[in-house]
Amino acid sequence: MGINQLSTLEHILITTKVEKVMNWSRATSVWPVTFGLACCAIEMMAAGASRFDFDRFGAGIFRATPRQADLMIVAGTVTYKMAPIIKTLYDQMPEPKWVIAMGSCATAGGPFDSYHTVQGVDKVIPVDVYIPGCPPRPESLIYGFMKLQDKIMTSSLADRYKDIFEEVG
Amino acid sequence: MSEPVVPETPQVPEPEAPSGPYVYDYAASPQRQIVMPKTVPLPSLRTYQAEVKAAAEADEAKWVKMQADFETAKAKAEAEGKDAPKPPVRPVPRKDDNDMKTPWPQEAKDADLLRLQECLGAKVEEIFEQAGELTCQVAKESILEALQLCRQDAQLNYEMLADETATHYPAATGFAFSVVYHLTSISRRKRLRLRILVPEGFQPETACAVYPGANWMEREIYDMLGIRFANHPDMTRILCPEDWEGYPLRKDYPTVGLGQRDIAFREDRGGMLERIALQKAGQLGINLKQPKAD
Amino acid sequence: MFKNEEMEINLGPQHPSTHGVLRVKLRLDGETITHCRPMIGYLHRGVEKICENQTFFQGQVWTDRMDYCSAVANNLGWAEANEKLFGITVPRRAQYIRTMLNEFNRLASHLIWLATHALDIGAMTVFLYAFREREDILDMNEAFCGSRLTTTAFRIGGLREDLPPGFEKMVQKFLAKFPSCLEEYENLLNENRIWKKRTIGVAKLGAEDAIAMGVTGPVLRAAGVPYDIRKAFPYAAYAEMDFEVPTRTEADTYARYLVRMDEMRQSARIIQQCMDGMPEGPVMAKLPKILKAEVNEVYHATEAPKGEIGYYLVGEKGSSNPYRFHVRAPGFINLQSLPKMAEGGLIADIVAAIGTLDIVLGEIDR
Repeated sequence: MGINQLSTLEHILITTKVEKVMNWSRATSVWPVTFGLACCAIEMMAAGASRFDFDRFGAGIFRATPRQADLMIVAGTVTYKMAPIIKTLYDQMPEPKWVIAMGSCATAGGPFDSYHTVQGVDKVIPVDVYIPGCPPRPESLIYGFMKLQDKIMTSSLADRYKDIFEEVG
Repeated sequence: MSEPVVPETPQVPEPEAPSGPYVYDYAASPQRQIVMPKTVPLPSLRTYQAEVKAAAEADEAKWVKMQADFETAKAKAEAEGKDAPKPPVRPVPRKDDNDMKTPWPQEAKDADLLRLQECLGAKVEEIFEQAGELTCQVAKESILEALQLCRQDAQLNYEMLADETATHYPAATGFAFSVVYHLTSISRRKRLRLRILVPEGFQPETACAVYPGANWMEREIYDMLGIRFANHPDMTRILCPEDWEGYPLRKDYPTVGLGQRDIAFREDRGGMLERIALQKAGQLGINLKQPKAD
Repeated sequence: MFKNEEMEINLGPQHPSTHGVLRVKLRLDGETITHCRPMIGYLHRGVEKICENQTFFQGQVWTDRMDYCSAVANNLGWAEANEKLFGITVPRRAQYIRTMLNEFNRLASHLIWLATHALDIGAMTVFLYAFREREDILDMNEAFCGSRLTTTAFRIGGLREDLPPGFEKMVQKFLAKFPSCLEEYENLLNENRIWKKRTIGVAKLGAEDAIAMGVTGPVLRAAGVPYDIRKAFPYAAYAEMDFEVPTRTEADTYARYLVRMDEMRQSARIIQQCMDGMPEGPVMAKLPKILKAEVNEVYHATEAPKGEIGYYLVGEKGSSNPYRFHVRAPGFINLQSLPKMAEGGLIADIVAAIGTLDIVLGEIDR
């Protein structure tokens, strides 16, 4: 009886770190905010639709409000008029939060080297993953998202907030 | 004994220590250099005819000079007892072997243009056809009259204003902008272009009274080129923010702008520092929050 | 006695049903909209200014990114405007291929409209179905020009390449399948009670108002005006095609839906005719390496899926850049009529009104 119990326990118990469990649960249910800016938004929609099915990676639930989202996919050109709004949206997202700069416009301004375009969304908010392409194919977005999952899996809670706590003291 | 001459070392000023963070000098950046246009590419039958005439005259003068040169050379050769030089051949313009056939301005033959000229008389400055498109240039004060005529006249009956836009001509004298109205007649399947030439500061009459759709187009022209329209219901910027400086589509405006686009929203990562600071201050009983402006 | 107090609501720029970054300021009396003011410019990228500093050949890249749902239609308008400026005759085979790709693009654009419009109103399934067919069209885009969305499909004077091998088979396979797909969408929506409730009589815009505001495309045709530039001012190979211009007289959201569905059928017909009557021959006109313009101005309008897209170009003598590059974007003009459609209606119906206009902010703001 006792021996049987032990083997059952071995089967159902996993020993791991709390951090790893948290990272795993975060990485596999990232909810992006519905935030289409330009051309890349169409590819983002295509990634969420029938053929590519973003839901397979736990990221298919596009939330309409930033307060329920973990991930902001900046899909398109960031303009001077839009930048303060992006910053506000980012501030409204609860921690932990991540940002993917999708496409060359969000990465570095893309082909729009003009007076009204912000040359890359990283001038406004911090970016975790950059995806090149104009626009990137849905496969690229999925690959970029998987890179983000890797990043989340290897992240440590202590590291994430270290600089902030050090500065505040 | 004279003292040895010590060559003076030139005084090199010490490089100033950078006082702040590196700031990109936008005034010197190559994208900022503006090449102002030297010509006035305003399509016009009169200008074209003058150009053609001048070119023909120049060609004729050249030919006359070639013949005269030949005569003197011939006389000289005869005097010296040499062989006579070859007579000159009039150069023919080279024919390009391609499928391009440049459309030149032509005399107005279309009934609509003639009707406009008949109704408006001296207010019509020029009518011509080019590339199958009808153009009618009217005096800048009478644009509203012309639009009303096009809209209401039974023979013209242009129901829709398809497009309205403007072009900046900094090199021109007497005017700075051309404003063009593209009218479409759905029932008669025709298009017509009305054009006015506007100097800087002149406020042409708005087309909103005749074509309500002109509202946003005129706002866009104001936003991009800085032409204000008189009696417009809502003359505000439409694409750029309200506090934007300059008019981007003018030729003296650099493509990269006047530095407006280079902003830094990122000094505080996600507003986190501010939030924590506010929280800490609140614990200590200090109110750091500024009263809101409005 | 209840006090009548108006409330101001801000819709967008980040809102799932504004199709991008449109912002609408609304004033409400209860649930009724009393005042509506669309505010645009959140995607203003300076395309016109950039294109004035590029050569005639290079400008096409930016036209792709204006109306990104229908890049080919933008390319076609751009190419034809340039050809008009230079007086270039395009070979007949190139015209046919252009027409066919343009119609494929109309299908893709209308499918995206159907998907997002239905999603806004609350029908999720259509979104998945419509994107399934759209992917097939994008595959054909990819086979022809190597890119899914931003096609850069044409060149001034024709095409860069002929059709790739096996393209005809792809087209026939798609055409065999497509009518049944259209039936599938119609089965989902046509008699759907929620769909009808949300669309019939909503966001009306009569013919007179529409013409006065300069509205074109399916919105105008749903008001009973058979104005289609493909018929009125034929371009490319449309003069040789046999197709109808579907119209409706109800001028509401449901009528626009039906018009667009019928348009998709006609597009499939045009594609079939292009494949059947495809002429042989070269696909590129003989041109000099560098195009130098003469003093000339052209306005060339073509029928994009959203309405009349017009390019206004001014050429400068001896210059290889356009002196002025202006785009008459159909969405920009159509969006002006949003207050007329929405005012007096319910707040929930503004979503339907925005959806039925089929706006793309990339071309509105440029």
